Amino acid sequence: MTNNKPAVDNRRLGLRGWVYAGKYTFERYLYLGHRLSGLGLIAYMVLHILETANRMRGEQAWAELMAVFASPPFKVIEYLLFAAAVFHAMNGIRLMLVELGFFLGKPQEPVYPYKSSVLKHRPLTYLVMILAGLLMALGGSSLFFP
Amino acid sequence: MRETRLWSLHILVIPIILVLLGAHFALMHYAPIFYALSVEKAREFSTMIARGKNIGQFVVYILLLAAGLYHGLYGTRGILRELPWSPALAKLIDLGILIFGIAIFALGVYVTWWTFNFELGG
Amino acid sequence: MLVAKTITFRIRRFDPETDSAPHWDSYAVNVFEGMTVLEALHQIKAEQEPSLAWRSSCRMGVCGSCGMFVNQFPQLACQTQVLHLEADIVSVEPLPNYPNVKDLVPDLQPLVEKHAEVKPYIIHPDLKEMREPSGEFLQTPAEREAFSQFTYCIKCGVCLAACPTAATDPAFLGPQALTQAYRYSADNRDSGVHSRRDSVGAFHGAYQCHMAGACSHACPKGVDPALAIQLLKRALVLDNFGFGKKESQSAKVAPLADVVKELEEFAPPPRTAE
Repeated sequence: MTNNKPAVDNRRLGLRGWVYAGKYTFERYLYLGHRLSGLGLIAYMVLHILETANRMRGEQAWAELMAVFASPPFKVIEYLLFAAAVFHAMNGIRLMLVELGFFLGKPQEPVYPYKSSVLKHRPLTYLVMILAGLLMALGGSSLFFP
Repeated sequence: MRETRLWSLHILVIPIILVLLGAHFALMHYAPIFYALSVEKAREFSTMIARGKNIGQFVVYILLLAAGLYHGLYGTRGILRELPWSPALAKLIDLGILIFGIAIFALGVYVTWWTFNFELGG
Repeated sequence: MLVAKTITFRIRRFDPETDSAPHWDSYAVNVFEGMTVLEALHQIKAEQEPSLAWRSSCRMGVCGSCGMFVNQFPQLACQTQVLHLEADIVSVEPLPNYPNVKDLVPDLQPLVEKHAEVKPYIIHPDLKEMREPSGEFLQTPAEREAFSQFTYCIKCGVCLAACPTAATDPAFLGPQALTQAYRYSADNRDSGVHSRRDSVGAFHGAYQCHMAGACSHACPKGVDPALAIQLLKRALVLDNFGFGKKESQSAKVAPLADVVKELEEFAPPPRTAE
């Protein structure tokens, strides 16, 4: 054994740690949701630019493409995109304010039980999530039941 | 510092995206509600070209392209760069995303410009 | 002592000299009311497994040695009462996101190095004044309040175990170091964030915090690293655009005689022997 290099136990969680690392508050999952919805949205934006560039192939090609997008599966995908955009936007408003130091309260002497900045801005978190829920419901009703 | 400027811009474009993307949604997906125009009609070739020939639309789309792509690609780069790359690979990712962003922005601008100058029925 | 319950401790074991991979061992412990996880570990070591390794010292949440991952949450073993976990099986692992030395001993070297990287000390704008002060540096209660919370950090490393960015990015400065960068930058005796922007304003600095909030949730001292990092970002942005630069503080340095006079005025009356 003495000649062998000692075994290494690297406890870095890796990508798994973005998803789950222990029992934390739900804000840690908002972080994950923000990340996933953001990646989805930028991927869509790039596809959207490529897709709408099809107009340069003329009216016929454009009409054919739009007919494809009018089919039910694309309605569902469209709604998922809308929901992702709404979540990302609402949570993003919270993050924009919070990451610039607003709504977090001032530093104060830590007295147990501690009230962290996460708890202090939780009313804002609830507010944006309720708004997101309302917008998603509104968007869903107008998309599926015009 | 460079990163501070990049991050500040990432935050600064948020209000632009909120307003312009909101308008874009309203126009394209909520046309029945906001304009009493069916979604199908709003997506027709002629409607689209007519919209694209409006100078306001033209400016708004270029702005939304720039803001959206910057915000999204800066975010993507941040996520990718949080993985443990070697310094050389990290540089390559930065460069790759920059080139990709410029290319896709150029395409978007070209299509918007093409629409702006398109003659219907010509 | 009154035994309240028998609890099974599942402990993640690893000895780099004999093991090629970590494994789990179980120990039954008779737990009494008020018994901490650290006390349970001591009991296991005394009665069942003499080779069990961990790091601890003060037993009272001051030294920051015994940070562990107990029942899926990073916390100080000495401040965690076993019965408060409300579980019949208690799992104990070394803190995630650190290299593991042995059993429950994480290697905190990365934490210490990152801490040093952010210049965690007062950088007075007037070097001469810093080295040979012409008087005492005064600080109002409000000026102290601006950073006081962040001075309670005991460098236990729990926050980095909770942080999602630290899960993948070994170069990320992390909640602990960034909080200390803000603690000094917000001090009115310090020249501010400007002198630390090379580290905290770079890619692996403050901007890789995305406000997941897990660090503040886990911090056993209520330091609230998430708050410090967001305030640090604001300070960095303001500094970058030329706002919020601190004026030279040397003007605030009171002549020694004035300070003595002030102290005399506010000093409590001398006690009389009874």
